[in-house]
This record gives sequence, structure tokens and C-alpha cells, in this order.
Amino acid sequence: MGYRVGVDIGGSFTDFAVFDEKTGKLSSMKTFSRPDEPGAEVIEGIRLLGERYGISPGEITYFTHGTTVGINTVIQRRGLKLALFVTRNFEDVLEMGRLKGPDMYSLLSKRPAPLVKRSMVFGIEGRLNADGSERFPLDDASIVAAVDAARARGAEGIIISLLHSYRNPEHELAVRARVEELWPGVFVNCSSQTWPIIREYERTITAVIGGYVQPRVAHYLGSLQQALKKAGVTCEPRLTKSNGGIMSAEQGKRDCVQMILSGTASGVIGAAHLAQSCGITRCLSLDIGGTSADIAVISDGQPKFGSGELIGDFNIHIPSVSVSSVGEGGGSIAWVDDLGVLKVGPESAGSRPGPACYGRGGDRPTITDAMAATGLLGHAPLGFNAVNVDIEASRRAIATLSDRLNDTIEQTAETILQIAVSGMYTEVSALISKYGIDINEFSMLAFGGAGPMLGCYLSRELGVKETVVPLVPGVLSALGGLIADLKSDFLSTVYLDLSEGDAVLIASEYARLKDRAESWLGDEQGFDGDFRVTASADMRYKGQSYELDTPIDLAAALAGDVAAMSAAFHAEHARMYGHSNPAAPLQLISLKVVITGIGDKPMFEEQEVVPARAEPQRLVRAFMDGDWRDVGLFSRYDLSAGSHFDGPAIVAQDDTTTVIPRGHSCRVDRNGNLRIVKGDQA
Amino acid sequence: MISNSRLQILANYCAAAAEAMGFTMMRTAYSTFVKETEDFSCQLMTPEGLTFASPITTGATWYTGLDYGPVIRMIDDYREGDVYAVNDPYSGFVATHTPDVHLWMPVFRDGQLVCFVGNHVHNTDMGGAVPASLSRTLTEVHQEGIRFPPVRIMRDGVLDERLLKIIDMNVRSPTQNRGDLDAQLACLVTGERKVHEIIDRFGTEEFMAGSQQLLAYAESQARQIIASIPDGEYVFSEFADEDSVDGVPCRINIRMTIAGDSVDLDYTGSDPQVVSSLNMPTGGNIRHSLITVGLIYSLHTLRPDALLNAGTVRILTGTLPLGTIVNPVAPAAVGMRSLISAVNQAAIFGLFSQAVPERMPACPAGGSSLLNVRAVASDGQRIIASIGPVGGGAGGGPTADGQEGCGANSAFLKNTPVEINEAEVPIHIIRYGVVPNTGGAGRWRGGNAAVMEFRMRTPEAMVTARNRNRASLAAWGVLGGKAGANARFTRNPGTDHAVELGNTDIVPCEPGDVIRSQGPGGGGYGHPFDRPVEAVLEDVESGFVSVNHARDAYGVIVVDGAVDMAATARLRGTRAAPEDHFDFGPNRSAFEAVWSRRNYDAMTEIMSLVPINWRHFVKHRLFRAAETLDTSLSPESIRETYAKLQASFNELPSIDLTVSEQ
Repeated sequence: MGYRVGVDIGGSFTDFAVFDEKTGKLSSMKTFSRPDEPGAEVIEGIRLLGERYGISPGEITYFTHGTTVGINTVIQRRGLKLALFVTRNFEDVLEMGRLKGPDMYSLLSKRPAPLVKRSMVFGIEGRLNADGSERFPLDDASIVAAVDAARARGAEGIIISLLHSYRNPEHELAVRARVEELWPGVFVNCSSQTWPIIREYERTITAVIGGYVQPRVAHYLGSLQQALKKAGVTCEPRLTKSNGGIMSAEQGKRDCVQMILSGTASGVIGAAHLAQSCGITRCLSLDIGGTSADIAVISDGQPKFGSGELIGDFNIHIPSVSVSSVGEGGGSIAWVDDLGVLKVGPESAGSRPGPACYGRGGDRPTITDAMAATGLLGHAPLGFNAVNVDIEASRRAIATLSDRLNDTIEQTAETILQIAVSGMYTEVSALISKYGIDINEFSMLAFGGAGPMLGCYLSRELGVKETVVPLVPGVLSALGGLIADLKSDFLSTVYLDLSEGDAVLIASEYARLKDRAESWLGDEQGFDGDFRVTASADMRYKGQSYELDTPIDLAAALAGDVAAMSAAFHAEHARMYGHSNPAAPLQLISLKVVITGIGDKPMFEEQEVVPARAEPQRLVRAFMDGDWRDVGLFSRYDLSAGSHFDGPAIVAQDDTTTVIPRGHSCRVDRNGNLRIVKGDQA
Repeated sequence: MISNSRLQILANYCAAAAEAMGFTMMRTAYSTFVKETEDFSCQLMTPEGLTFASPITTGATWYTGLDYGPVIRMIDDYREGDVYAVNDPYSGFVATHTPDVHLWMPVFRDGQLVCFVGNHVHNTDMGGAVPASLSRTLTEVHQEGIRFPPVRIMRDGVLDERLLKIIDMNVRSPTQNRGDLDAQLACLVTGERKVHEIIDRFGTEEFMAGSQQLLAYAESQARQIIASIPDGEYVFSEFADEDSVDGVPCRINIRMTIAGDSVDLDYTGSDPQVVSSLNMPTGGNIRHSLITVGLIYSLHTLRPDALLNAGTVRILTGTLPLGTIVNPVAPAAVGMRSLISAVNQAAIFGLFSQAVPERMPACPAGGSSLLNVRAVASDGQRIIASIGPVGGGAGGGPTADGQEGCGANSAFLKNTPVEINEAEVPIHIIRYGVVPNTGGAGRWRGGNAAVMEFRMRTPEAMVTARNRNRASLAAWGVLGGKAGANARFTRNPGTDHAVELGNTDIVPCEPGDVIRSQGPGGGGYGHPFDRPVEAVLEDVESGFVSVNHARDAYGVIVVDGAVDMAATARLRGTRAAPEDHFDFGPNRSAFEAVWSRRNYDAMTEIMSLVPINWRHFVKHRLFRAAETLDTSLSPESIRETYAKLQASFNELPSIDLTVSEQ
């Protein structure tokens, strides 16, 4: 028995979630992030854990960590100088992409510049057919020439991506072996080893991103391992993965592509766990930070998974938690255009210089300033005393707009908040239509610095049934790492017109994937607890050009039960798109197995529910729905399970402020969450 | 009225409604065509039929300013639960060819008509003479499939099966069309629900006034853009290679007048309507979406954050003479109007390039041909597969090189992966990428052309390539930049039985035949000698420019992978100043050496005076005569040729030969 520690390093703060295995109690803690010396905040945190909770490093039995170092490397374009070896006459794969440009209406719109310059792409002679058979053998001279040229042009690593390697990796492996002979010690990886999907651009860019971030991620993880060791933490650190699971840091150093979205996935996993343990079956998670709002869809404790998530300018095609991002956060700047129309974003003041009311040199009005100017902020210190809110500074900044609009400062401020909410509404509304979900059955789980402030307003527009604000909204990401399971996905691309005759092949492929999965969990990750294996298949109607990830019953999968797979697909197609055609022929593109090692989950502390009307600490003046009103100010720490009160109200706590609009009411549930609904509640 | 501080809120809600419609269409669509090529549109419209919101992330780019007014006004008893449809390109000029089925639905609130929601889908086939209903060879709209005028297909939420059964009987894949119709209906219902949500929030009055304000806001923004452009008259012509199978060039001629914050486009001098399916049915409405798409691209390029809707095109007045390719009379075929629409877009880019050269790029390649393979697999299965668009890059400049392979006004296109094509279609793909030296040389280089080369593996196969153009007339360069390379279409390239296929769009193939389709290149911007030596070297290292082309076009001498700076400086010292704003490439220059603007104007002037049904014939006779002329072509000789023609066909009017030239 010991302590489990989850850490999430954000732009300004680093959050710690600590789970006491003995008592089942969960605590949290915050330190300042140290972008100047990554890892230092973790050491500082471990020291503080000793100071505050008397936890010695040796007692930490489990350490997980979500990091944005991978995605930042891509966004800042500070990765490895790679050479890319591809099939000859197809060297422009990254230049062409899938053609479509980011802004279809602009003559100047360009696809993002590739991560590997065209002058670093080299053709390899040799060719496979679509069924994996060899059309032309590999030409050794072309490999030698490619290695020489890559070296001469200063390559620091090599990615190999040859046509049809998803079906037969032999050519890629042979090239890899030859590269290792010719240039011992160079970093080299293959697309088929990264994630063997069909579609050459998608497979190639995924392998390239993995290689691109590798040295930075590996270096970062290496430093972290050392720092932890020095601090006396003996357990092997683990990392959250894009797929919402975890893996060892050691594996993360090799398999960087798996942890690119580590940071974002953690928050969603934390939200999903929280939702499930509070009995919320369907919810949207809304994480609003300084520069963006991240939104994910969660059903039955599971986030939606997909591939093609955006990493900087690029989509990466490995299984990931699906998160939609809107470029609106607390730092988004409000402005008036030359026709006198009020706008918000996309420009952001970020955390430096930040909102005007933070007094760090910012003077342009932001969403946070609008909150301050309407009296929603500033009644209690923010961010553990890190920031004091200067309301006059926010009013001065907003006055520059209200003068032009011929309106009052507070009305302008409230309109800024409405514009911000309507922008998020646009994004969520698109998400709803994309997935075809019934939003009235959903709760909204609001967290991040600004989530609880705007959450109720967005909920009101969307018509979700309630808004939920967790007890410690800042710590969900750290918690996500703590409760995530060891998890990995395994894929085999078979690409066939589905018929009864394929049963044997399907059965044996699934068996092979399952074996690999179990060996990953047991041998590589050293896990010996309960685990779960699920199967799915990417299928489509013949003639379609996109696949549907169809869950397949594991027994049916291992039996190669073609009829069961077909039925599952038709049902999934009807569920997703509203129609199916059971008479139409099917194609089976790939088989997938996901293994999850089930870890203990911390239970949230439950309090006895004692219904009682809560009284505000005092009344404050806030501008809401077009007027200054007396609004009850509550401290989160005074509320207990069963406390209830009506809006308008403001609930202050160390890491966020919750705003409850008029006509809404709030009650504290047995887990300490604020549950806010329209109207009264029993 | 809604205040300026709150207008953006309404704009966001309307955008949300439009995006929700788009995603609903994508999600529920039956055909791959809708889901993958996104050839659809959807919109919120005022009761007058003016589009005030449409999605910007999904759907086709051509329908931003669409005006449903003419078809909406043909109906007079709108009720809640109604849905109407049209696909006839000549009934109200909303549908632009028969495969596009447009729907619209009135939205009522408390008994009041508050707006319309509408959409369209390009159906893969509407019946007619050829599968997919579209071919350059067709000459009458009757050959392009079943047509219906504005008609109610739903009342009180119940579909009128009588009409739908007639359509089913006339199209080649009714299940697919019905599946997509269901998606269109789901999309409308989503739109209707979203409008009610907006009204719940804003109230009927504010919503209706606000939708008019959104039109006015877009108009004001567009006027600001135009006001930033110098007043003046600008004239430009753009040509299609051929006006019909084995035809002669076809000209779009526009005189643009910028006066203050307004634009006038006069298409007088554009070619007569043609006896092929290249005609653009506009009904003479200068604000028709087929006319305004080039303008919308230009405005968005000049100011990317401006709102785009039917208010945007209110800046526009103009003339589309009847019986020309931009305003044909029925029953002219219109199926391939996309080819001329692309030419029209390039013409408008040329006008804006003259007006604000420092803010507009050179001409994009356009001319993306859509390759299809029809084959029979060895198991007897018939395969018809789209293997992707093959076009060319964006024009260079004003501050960056043009996108490689595909960009600018083709940026909505998506390709099909090589691996999918080889798995689905009995072909071996030999090459897919960009072609060196095809982008127009310039300080900012034009994007190179794309190429796809593949070997057929089955007998009785056929390759079709829709929208082929620019095999002869190139994408122009500006300000010293060079024109891009021409498109090429070759069977068995590099063999002794190679065949140049030009703009052919149907190619029967034998097993072993190799087909190579290469798009045109984008135009260059600024003098190529001003391109930094390092950029040229990088292009050479990248294989985008060859060593020889670096020397000949850019004046950069590369020896053994390094630049010979002294020799380069000597060579670059010899540059001649460019004479003209545009470089049109050798073929158009040669063509215009004969068919100068004066001569072409004389020809189109005659056209404007002869009966519409004679025009295509007379034009071709005048072209043929020009080829055999002993002297050089002149307005006088053209008029003489016409006089001779008139003498043998007295149905033709005599034309006063003393008509003064402008």
C-alpha cells in the first residue's frame, strides 16, 4: 500500500492528484510550471507532497504523467531533421497530401509545409502489389544512394514508408535492415511498425510525426526518469497515451507516436471517470483554458475514440480520444471591426501579457476582462493567490470598445461573453450533427480555469439537461492519468471483399492480434491483473470510401463469424448514419484488438447528503442579463452534500469561479459536484 | 433591428445552423459522391430567397451567394411541412445542370413565413444519353436526363410518391438517388429546427431583421474591399481550348468597371452559346452563382475574414448578352458548365490582377480533370471507379509560391490514395506526384502540375477524363512571371506508339496500355531572375526544377549541386524588362497573333447580330476561313467572309459592313 500520483503540466500551473491506496482518499495540489526547466516542477511537487501530506518519495508506488511535449514539438516545428524513404515515383506524398486545402475560398490558401522537406525525400526502387505480393524486387543501389544522399543533406533520422506496407512489411523491414548496416546507430523507423493502416499519406504522416518528435520526447522522459530517481521515487513512471490508456515511460521513449495527445486525453479520461462514478451516463466535457476550449463526447464512462486528430497543422492517424478544440479561451481578445461590429478572437493575449485585469502588461480587453467588468470575477483571489484581479483595469480596457459601440462598459462586457458562448455553441452544434446525438440527454461537465464560468451559459444555449462542476476542476487532467488503464491497440489490415470463405483468415488474424496484445500487457508492461480484450473491424459497403469502426463480439471475432460481423456492421451503419442496406456486399479493411489491463480506480469520497438551503457569504453586485443585480457569493468550501441554492449566484474557489445564471438552481451531490439545472430542483 | 454589438452573436447562430445542416447531410448521405467529394450545398435564406448563411467547412464552394428567389416566386401557397424541388436548369436558373437537385422548405413561426432553408446534392446520375448524365458531346439539355420544374414533393410532411416514382424510373441508380434525397430532407429538418432555436433566443422580429442585416453587413464589407481598389476600367479575356469536341477556342470576355464601391461586369464579346454542353445557364442574372464564384474567390483572397453571403454580390451590376455561352437559351446542353465556369473564374482573376496586382496571385492551373476508369474485372464484375482529380498548382505570388499539384480554386478537391486505387481498380499506378518545370517561373513560382500514370490490366477498359482543358492555352503569369505549362494527356508515353490525346475525354484502352494524365501548371509571379538563388537551388534539390530549367528560366547556374555565383550573376545581368502585365505562354500568343482582340471582337460582334441557332455554325465557318486566308486576318476580312456566308444562306441577316469599331 502506498500513494499513487498523477501529474499534469500545464502552461501556468502543474496539477498533482494523489490517491491514498489505503484510505481511498484523493487529494490535489498545485505548483507553478517551469517551462524553463521541465521536470523541476515535478521535483518541487514531490517535495511539497512530503511537506504537506507527509508522503515520502519511497511511498509513491505509482506515478503517471500527461505531457504536451510531443504536440508542442510539432506546433513549434522543433523536431528531428528527418529523411523520408518512399517508393520511387511517389516522392511527393507529403507535398500532395489528400489535396484539400485549409481554406477552400482563398486563392492563397496553402496546405501546411511538410515536416520533411521535399529535398529530404528519396525514392526506393521496388514495388509491392495491393495484395502484398511483389511486383518488382528492391533495388539495393537505390537504398545505398538514398542513405548517402540523406547523410550528405544532414539527416538526423530516417522514416521508411513504402506502398502497400500495411499488407506486407517485408520491403520496409529489408530497407530498414540495410539502412542500419550502412549507417549504424541512426534513428530509423517504418510506417508499418508505427501504425499499419491503408492509405499512403495517412500512414506516412503518422510515422513522420512519430519520428519527428522522438528525440525531444525521449530526452524529456529520460530527464524525468532521472529526476524522479534522484528524488527517491522508485516506481517506473508511466505516461498517458493518446488512446486514453497508459504505458511505461520506457516504452514512450521508443513509441512516441502513442503519446502525442497525452495531455488532452488525460483530461477527457478524468472527466469520463468522474462522470461514471457520479452516475452520469452521457456528457460533454468542456475544458476552457487561456487560449482554447476543448470539448469531448462521453457515453457510459467512455470517451469517443477516432483517428485523424489534429496535431498542430497535421492530422495523425492513430486511435485517439476525440477532442474538438475551439480557439476561444479566457485570453481571447475582443475588438470592434471597421463597420462597428463587435467580435471576439481569434487573437489571444495568452498568459503573457494576459488579460488586462491580471496587471501583467496586457491592455487589450479579453473574455476574462469581460468577466471581471461584469462583477463575476474578483471577489476571491484566483489561482492560489497567484493573480489578483484588477477590475478597474478590465473596465478601462473594455471602455475602448464600448465608446465605439455607444454602449455601457458592463453591457459591452456581457455581450462579449455572449459572443464567446455563441462561438463555442457553433462548434458543439457541429459536433452534435456530426455524431447525430440527442443533446437533451446530455450533461455538461465544465472544468479548466474558465469552464465553470461559461459552462452554464453554453448549457443554456445547447439545451443540455444539467451543468456539472467537479469539486476540484483543475485536477481532472492529473486525475485522468491516475485512473487510466494500461491500454494498447493492435491492427491488421486485410482489405478483402467479405465472404464466408474468409472465416479462417479472420479467425487466425484476430487470434494473432490477441496474442500480441496479451504479450504486450504481460511481458512488456509486466501487468498480471485482470484485463479486457475487445475486438472491432473497419468495414464498409463496397463502393464506399470511408470505413466504420464496428465493434465485434470477441468470441465471434475469434471464431471468424462472418455473419455476425456483417450483422454488426449493418446495425452500426444504421445507428451512425440512419440507414443500412443488408443486401449490399461488404468490404473488410482491417481488424483491430484493444487490450486494457484493469487497474484499481480511486473512488471519490462520498458525503452523506443532508439537504439544506445554503446561505451566501454576502451579496455582491454583478451585471447579468442586462442589469446590475444582487448576486449571492458562496465559497465552495462552505458547501457540503445536499446544500442547495438558487441563481443568480457565484461560487468562488481556489482554482475557478462558477457562475449560476438567473432562473437556475444548484445542488451539491454526494461527491461534492455542483449540479446546476434550469428551474428549481427537488 | 439588432445592435452592432450583438450582430456577431446572430451571425454565429446562423453559421451554427448552416454547419449543422452540412454535417447532417454528410452524415446521412447515401452516396460516396456526396460524402467524399462534398458536391452539395445548404443555406438559410430570407423569405425572398437570398442566402444569408451557408457552411464554410463542408460542401462545394460555388453557392455562397445563391438566390432562390426566381423558383420561390413560382409557388404561391407555401405551408408548414412543404418541401419543393427543381433540377431543370432553365426553370428559374437555380439548378445549373440536371444532376443538381435543389430543395427548399418554408419555415413558419406562429403562422408567419420567417425564412427558407434549402440545399442541393449532385446526383451521380439523372438518366439521359450517357451514364452520369454529363458529357461534352451532348448538345441538348434533353439528352442530360430527366428534368422537373419547381414542384412540391412534400405536403404536411408526406412525400409525393407519384413524382418520385417517375424520377426513379428514369435514372440509372434510383436507390442511391433516393438515399441522398433522404439526406437532403434530414438536412432541411435540421435547418428548420435550428431556425426555431434561433428564434427562441432572438424572437421572430429580431431574427428576420437580423438576417437582412447580415446581408447588409456582408455587402458593406464587400464594398469596403472594392473601395480599396483603384477606380477604372479593366478588360480581360480568357479562353477555353475548345468549344466542343475537336472545336475551336471559346472566349469569355469581360469589361470590369470599378467605380467607388461598386463593380460592373460586362460580358459583351463573350462567345456565342455552343453546340456542346459547356454552356452556363444564368438566365442573364449577373449575380448568378456561376458568374459570382470568381468574384467571391477574389474578395475572400483580398480579405479572408469578410462574411460571404448573397449580400456580398449586391456590389455587382452587369450584362450577360442573350445567346452567349454565359446566357444560353434553351435547349442548349449545360452539363459541363463547370469547365466554362473555371474559365470564367480565371477571367475574373485576370481583371483583379490588373486592378490590384500587389494583392492577387497569378492564374491558378484550374483544368483539373476527373479521371474515371471503367473496366471488367476477371470475375466479370463491372467496375466504374473515380481514381481522382489530376490538375495543377496554384498561381504564384504575391508573397508565396503557388501550392503544388492542386490549390487555389481547386482547393476543395480531394484525391484517392494510390493504395485504395490499386486495391479497387485493375490498374497499376506507375507514378503519382508533381511534374518538374511545369509551374510558371517567377519571383514566386507557380505550383507544379500533378501527374498520374497507370497501366491498364484488363481488356475492354475505358478511361474518361471530364473537364479537360489547358492542353493548349496555359495559366498566365504576371509582372514578369511566366505562364504555367500546358496539360498533357498521353497514351503509351515514351513508346513508338505514343498518342497525344489533347482534350479528349473518352479513351478506350487495351491491356498493357499506359495512360499518363498531367495537369497544367500554375502561373508565375514577378521576374524569375528576382527569385533568390537559394530558393532556386532548393527547388533543384527538391526536384521541382531541373538544372537546365534553373539556367534557362531563372538564370541560375547549378553545377554539381552548388550554384556558380559568378556565372549566375553574369547570366542574370542580361535580363530584358517584361513588356506586358501578363505572360500567356506560346500557344495563346500564337493564337492571338491571328485572332487578335480586334479580330475576335469583330467576330463576336457579328455573332451578336445573327440568330442564336446559327451562331455556333457561323463562328466555326469564320474560324475555318481564317485558316485558309492568304492575307493576314483582319476585321474586314472576317466581315467579308461573313458576307460570303450570308450570300449562300439567305436566312442569315446581312450586316452593315461599315459598323464602326470601338
